[in-house]
Amino acid sequence: MKKLITAVAAATVSLSVAAHDIVPGEPQQQPILLQNGTLHTVSHGVQANTDLLFVDGKITAIGVDLAVPANAQVLDVAGKHVYPGVIALDTTIGLREIESVRATEDADEAGVITPEVSGHVAYNPDSEVIPTIRYNGVSHAQIVPQGELITGRSSLLQLDGWTYEDAGERLNVGVHVNWPRVGINTAWWERRSPAEQRKANAEARKQLERTFIDAKAYYDAKQAGELNGTDLRWEAMLGLFDGSSTLFVHADDQRQIEEAIELTREWGFDWVLMGARDAWRMADQLAAENVRVVYGAPFGLPTRHDEAYDQAFSTPAALAQAGVNFAISYPGYWDVRNLPFAAGNAVAYGLDREQALAAITLKPAEFLGVADRLGSLEEGKQATILISDGDLLDPIGQKIEQLFIEGRLVDLNNRHLQLYNKYKQKP
Amino acid sequence: MISSNRLSKLAVAMCAALPVLASASQTTTVQGLHDNSSSFVALQNATIITEPGKRLENATLVIRNGKVERINENNRVPEGARVIDLTGHTIYPGFIDAYSNYGVPAPKQEQRGPWFSTKPQYNNKREGGNAANDAIHSQQLWVDQAASDSKAAEDYIEQGFTAVQSARLDGIFQGQAVTLSLADKIANDVVYRAQGRHFGSFDKGTSQQQYPNSLMGSIALIRQTLSDANWYEQAYGKAAYNGTVEYNAALAELGPIEQEGMLFKVTDDKSLLRAHAVLSEFDVPVTFVGSNYEYARLDAVKATQAKLVLPLNFPAAPEVAGVNDDLDVELADLRHWERAPGNAAALAAADIDFSFTLHQLQKAGDFWPNLRKAVQHGLDKDTALAALTTIPAQIAGVSDKAGKLAPGYMADFVVAEGDLFTKGTIKSVWLQGAETELAPLRTANFAGTIRASLANQDVQFELKGDERVSGELVMGERSSKLRSVTRDEDTLNFVVDAELAGLSGAWRVQLQQAAEQEFRGVAVGPDGRTLHFSGTRTDGGDSEATAATTAATDVSYVSRLTYPNVAYGLDGLPARQNLHIKNATVWTADEDGVLENTDIIVRDGEFYRIGQDLPTPSGYTVIDASGMHVTPGIIDEHSHIAIDRGVNEGSEAITSEVRIGDVVNPDDVHIYRSLAGGTTMAQLLHGSANPIGGQAQVIKLRWGATADQMKFDAAPPSIKFALGENVKQSRYPSWLSTRYPQTRMGVETLMRDGFTAALEYRERLQAYKKLSRSERAKTAPPRPDYRLQTLLEILDRERFVHAHSYVQSEILMLLRLAEDFNFTLTTFTHILEGYKVASEMAKHGAGGSSFADWWAYKFEVYDAIPHNACLMSEKGVLTSINSDSNDLQRRLNTEAAKSVTYCGMDEHEALKMVTLNPAKQLKVDEYVGSIKAGKHADFVIWNNHPLSSYARVEQTWINARNFFNRERDEQLRAELREEKQALLQKVLADPNASNGDSNGYKREQPAWHCDTEHDTWLGTFTAHSHGGH
Repeated sequence: MKKLITAVAAATVSLSVAAHDIVPGEPQQQPILLQNGTLHTVSHGVQANTDLLFVDGKITAIGVDLAVPANAQVLDVAGKHVYPGVIALDTTIGLREIESVRATEDADEAGVITPEVSGHVAYNPDSEVIPTIRYNGVSHAQIVPQGELITGRSSLLQLDGWTYEDAGERLNVGVHVNWPRVGINTAWWERRSPAEQRKANAEARKQLERTFIDAKAYYDAKQAGELNGTDLRWEAMLGLFDGSSTLFVHADDQRQIEEAIELTREWGFDWVLMGARDAWRMADQLAAENVRVVYGAPFGLPTRHDEAYDQAFSTPAALAQAGVNFAISYPGYWDVRNLPFAAGNAVAYGLDREQALAAITLKPAEFLGVADRLGSLEEGKQATILISDGDLLDPIGQKIEQLFIEGRLVDLNNRHLQLYNKYKQKP
Repeated sequence: MISSNRLSKLAVAMCAALPVLASASQTTTVQGLHDNSSSFVALQNATIITEPGKRLENATLVIRNGKVERINENNRVPEGARVIDLTGHTIYPGFIDAYSNYGVPAPKQEQRGPWFSTKPQYNNKREGGNAANDAIHSQQLWVDQAASDSKAAEDYIEQGFTAVQSARLDGIFQGQAVTLSLADKIANDVVYRAQGRHFGSFDKGTSQQQYPNSLMGSIALIRQTLSDANWYEQAYGKAAYNGTVEYNAALAELGPIEQEGMLFKVTDDKSLLRAHAVLSEFDVPVTFVGSNYEYARLDAVKATQAKLVLPLNFPAAPEVAGVNDDLDVELADLRHWERAPGNAAALAAADIDFSFTLHQLQKAGDFWPNLRKAVQHGLDKDTALAALTTIPAQIAGVSDKAGKLAPGYMADFVVAEGDLFTKGTIKSVWLQGAETELAPLRTANFAGTIRASLANQDVQFELKGDERVSGELVMGERSSKLRSVTRDEDTLNFVVDAELAGLSGAWRVQLQQAAEQEFRGVAVGPDGRTLHFSGTRTDGGDSEATAATTAATDVSYVSRLTYPNVAYGLDGLPARQNLHIKNATVWTADEDGVLENTDIIVRDGEFYRIGQDLPTPSGYTVIDASGMHVTPGIIDEHSHIAIDRGVNEGSEAITSEVRIGDVVNPDDVHIYRSLAGGTTMAQLLHGSANPIGGQAQVIKLRWGATADQMKFDAAPPSIKFALGENVKQSRYPSWLSTRYPQTRMGVETLMRDGFTAALEYRERLQAYKKLSRSERAKTAPPRPDYRLQTLLEILDRERFVHAHSYVQSEILMLLRLAEDFNFTLTTFTHILEGYKVASEMAKHGAGGSSFADWWAYKFEVYDAIPHNACLMSEKGVLTSINSDSNDLQRRLNTEAAKSVTYCGMDEHEALKMVTLNPAKQLKVDEYVGSIKAGKHADFVIWNNHPLSSYARVEQTWINARNFFNRERDEQLRAELREEKQALLQKVLADPNASNGDSNGYKREQPAWHCDTEHDTWLGTFTAHSHGGH
C-alpha cells in the first residue's frame, strides 16, 4: 500500500487512507476440526454432515464423527458449506491497482517477445484489490504478464502473503503467448484491406515460429556448451524444451486454436489453451487431443453477431459434454472476485454443478501442477479451505465466513468493508 | 461488339476530334470568321422512345440549334436537314444524373495526423458571411464556379448521360446545386438550371471543427441551422440585445429552402428516416440519395413520400471460399449481397419514385451491368428508363427542357442498338444537338459460314466471334486455320495457309460486308496475284446484340427478410395476447411482495388480475408456470445499446441540444440479447464526455419495431449530465486540454453559467413578446436556441437530469447547484461514492443508480464499494442498479443480487432495484416496474429464483407481446444456420460474386461506453479506455 500511495500521490493528488491493518494469517497453531459440514470435496463428491480435521496446514482426516484431537479447536459448521479455496487463473492481480493511472500499472512490458519477465516480480502483496478478492473465496491466483506476442512467465501465488516470496506457491509455471491474429476483421476501425491483414497475420505467425526456433537453438547450444553468452529471453524458455515448463497459449478463434494444436504438437510442448472462446466449435477435437482448456469468457457477449445470445455462457456445458478437460477463468484483476459466480452462471446454461466447482478449484490446480496439494478437500492436501454459509457459486447464497490458506486463518477484512463500516456511522 | 475499354478510348478520340459546334453564346465576341455551320439534322428510320412507355417505330427526330424541333411519326425528313439513317436503332431521351459533383471544384483535403496529434478546433474562421460551423456551406451557389470538364464528362457520356445536377459533395449543408449539360461548351451555355436544390448529408466532410462529431450532433446542427435561417429572415438588419444582427450569407441562402428543397445523402435506411424527421420539422421538401438498404424498411421509407436517387454500387460478396472464411461473415451481409440488386425493383413495386446515379460506383463502367442486374431482379424497363430520364429531370428541376424528347426540349439523347436494359449498345450520345460517337452506327458482322468461290474453287469461311474473330478456311475435306486475324468496323484481314488454284502457301485475304448476308473479298496469292471474290453467308450471322438478349430472369431469394434484417430478426411484431399465467412464483416488486402459486391474467396488454386459482377466461392463452418465477421486466437506467454513430457529442462542454432519440438504432442485436436477459426497458443515455450532455431516450426493447416505435412516449424527457474525470478530460495529454472545464471547480461554474444564460434567454423571449409592433420593427427577435431551451426545460422541471458522478464532492456540488436553481436532481448514475453522501442525497430527493460492484478501473472509483446500494437505500435514497454495458444489461438480476451477497439486502428489495426503482427514476412507474393490475404486461418468466446464478430467462414479454422465447430462439438458431449455408452456397455458385463494391455493407458499430469519444465522421477515437465508464 505504501508503494501505491507514493505513486498515486506523486502522479495526481494525495490520498488519505489509513494504512491498512490486515495482517497475513499466522501459521496454524493447533489442530482445527470442522464438524458436521457439507463438504464439497471436488474429488469425492459432496459429503453431508461430515467432519474435516487439519493440522499444521494439512488436511489429516475427513469423515463422520472424527475424534477430537487434544488441543484442537473445534468449529461447528453444521448447515455450512466447506470448499477448497478457489484458484483464479489468468489474472493481473497485484500488477494493476488503478487501471487508468499508469503509475499503478505493472503488467505490460515493452517489446514483442518478453518471456524473461515474471509476473510475481512486480506483484504487490499490499494491493488494496487482493483482500477484496479473497473475500469471495479466491485463495490463489495465477499472475500473468500482459503484452504482445510472448508476454512473460506466470506464477501461482497464494493471496495472503507478506511478500511474493512467502506468497509463492509455484513460481514461473510457464510461458505465455498471445496467439497471432487470424481471419479478417471487418470492424469499422480496421483500415487495412483483407490482403494487408492476411499479410500481417502471416508475419506475426512467422515471428512466433522463428522465436521457437531461436529458443530451441539456444537450448541445444547450451546443452552442448556452445553458447557465446547468456540470453535472458531464451533462458526463460528453456523449460519448454525439457518439459519442466508449460506453454500457455492465449487463443480465442478456432483458426488460432487449430494452429496452436498443430504447432505445439510439432514442438512437443506441454501446453494449456487459455481464453478459447471458440472451443465449443471444436470440442470433440479438443477432447480427442487431450488439450487442457482454460475457458476465459464465462461471462460475456457472443464473439460474433450471428452466434446464439448465450454462447459464452453455454460453452462450458458444451465442453463438458464433449469430455474436454477444462477449467474456467475470469481474466482481469478487481473483478476476479466474480469468478465463483461466473462458474455458477455456467450451471444455469447446462453445466453440472460439481463440474463448475471443479473448474475453479481442482482443474486449475491440475493445470498448474499443484494438484498434489491444492484444489480439493483430500487428506494430505493443504488445508486451503473456505467455509460459506451458503452456495459459493450463487450471489444469493455465498457468504464466506472463514478462509484458511494452508491452515492459516485469513483476515477477510478489506478496503470495502472498512469504508462500509466507516460510512455506516456517518450521520 | 466493342469492349468498354475500347469504348472509352474511342470516346476520348471523338471528343477531341469534334469541333466545338457553333457556340450558341450570345455574348462571346467572335475571333476570326463566324461559324455558321448548320445544326439542322434529321435522324430517320429510328425507333424513338420519347418518354418512358411511349415508343414510336420508324420515326424521324428533327433537331436544330441544339433543340428538338419536331418528331415526325410519318418518318418524313424536312428539306435541308442532314439525314442520318438510324434503321435498327433506338433513340432514348438523354439520361440525367441528379446527384453529381461534375464541373465544380473539389474540396481542399486537409491532412489529418494520427490521434492526439492536432489541437482540437472549437470555433472556425469567419469570412465572407459564412456560417459559424465549417460543415455548413449553404451560401455556396455552385453555378458561380461551374465549368465544363470534358475529361470528367466522359464517364457520364459513355453511360448515356447528358445532364447532371451538381454541387460540391462536402459537409452538411453543401450549397445550392446547378443543373448542367455535359456538353463541352462554355459554362454559360451548359447551365440548365442555375439554382437547383440544396445538397446535404450528415457527414461534416472536410470540416476540421470538433462539432459535430456524432450523428446526433449533425442532426442537432441541422435543426439549429434551419431554425436560425427562419430567425434570420426576421432578424437581419435589426438590433439584438448584444448588438446588431450579424450578416450571415449561409443563413440568408437557406431562407427559401422550403421552396428550393434538398437532395440529402444517407448511408442506410435508418438515416433516411432520421433525415426525413428533422427536415420535415422545417417543411423542407427532400429527395434522398439512397443506400440500397431501403428494401429492409420499405413501409417506413414509403411513408416519407420522398423520391430517391439510387446508386448502383451493389456489394461484392464477402470472401467465403476458404474453409473457415464463414467465421468472419455475418448473415446480414450475405442477405444484403443477395438482395441489394433487387432494391430498385422493391421500391418500384412499392410505388416509390427513384432515379439512378453514377455516384459511388467504383468504376463508371459498372453502371450498365449493374442496372441490368437490377432489371434481372424484377425492375420494369419503363421504370428503369424513367429513373434515367423523367424522374431525375424532376429532381433536378429541368422537366421543362430535359428528360423527354418533345418539341422545344434540348436535343439531348442516346442512340442505341438493341435493348439497353438487357444487352444493347450505346452508339452515340447527343448533347445539345451535337454528336459524341461512342461506336460506329454499323459494324460489319462476319460470324457464320460464308461460302465463296475463290480461284474457281468452292470454299467456306467458318468464322466466329464479334470483336475478335477467329475461324478457318474449309475446302472440301481439308481445312486451315486463319492466322493474323484483325478487323476494324467494316474490314476483316487474315492470312491462311492453303493450296488454291494450284498455288500453295500463305494467302492474304481481306473481307468486307456488302449487305446483310453478302460479302466481297480480295485474296493475294503466294505468287503476288490479286483475286477478287464474293461470298454469301449461309448460316449464322445474328448479331450478338439482338440475339443474346437476356430475359429478366425470375430471381428467387434464399435469404429471409426480417425486422430488423439481421440474424435473429423477426417476421414482424409479435401479436399481443391475452394470457392466463398459472401457478407461478410471482415477484410483484410492489407492496404484495413475493406470491407463491399465483396466477396472473393479462388482458389488452396489461396485467388484469393477480390471484390464486383464477379461472381461465375463454380464448386466453394459458402458460403453465409451475416451478417458474415471474418478475416485472427489468429496467436499465443506464444503457448505450441501440445507438447509431456516436454515443457522445463530446465536442463542446454543453451539448444539451443533441438527442439520443434522433439516433436510436433498432437493428442492434443487443436489443435481442438484452431481451434474452429479461430486460424490457432501457434509458439510452448520452455519454459522459461533457458536463451537460445530450438528451436521453427511454425505449422499450421492441425488437423488430422501427426506432420511433421503440420510444416510450410516456416517459418524460431526460438528459445526461456528467462530472469528474471524463468531463475534465483527464486522459487527454495536457497540451490538448484546452476546453473549459479542466477541474471539478470549473464543472460547477460552467453549469452555473449555462443555467444563468438560460434564464436570461427566457427573459429576452418574454421581453420581446411585450414589445409593440413598432418596437418589433427595429428589434430582432431572440434567436431560438435549442441548447438553452433544453436547459430551461430542466429548470421548469419538465426534463429530468441523470448525472454521471462518482466522488462525494461532485455529488454534493450538483445537489447544491440544483437547489440554487430550484430544481431536483432526479438521479445520480454510477454514483459510486453515493454512500458517502447518502443522507444529503435523500434529503434533496435525488435517486442513485449504481454499479453493483465495479471499482478500481480509474482513480475516481477507488473508493467504490459493493455495499453502496445498501447504504444508499438504508438512508432513504431511491436506489437502482444499472449496467452501462451491453453485456451486463442482460444479467442485471444477478447484479442486483450482489446487494444480498455483500450487505444482506432483502431479496425482494434487491429485485426492485432493477424493476420498480428504475421505473420511478425514469418517472414511468405508473405504467411499468411492477406486477400490478393496470400496469403494462412487461414481464419475465424465469426457470429459477430470479436473483440466482442458476436462473435463466425462458420468456420475455412487453405489452403482452412475446419478444423472447427460449424455445423459439433454439428454432431461430437452426433456421439461421440453414439460411446461412444456403447463402454461402449461392455465393460459391456465383462466378461473379466477388464483383462489386467491397465497402458495400453497413459497418459494425463500436460497443459504446460512457467515455467513448469518437469522431464518427473522421473515423477516429479521441479518447477511450478499456474498462472506463
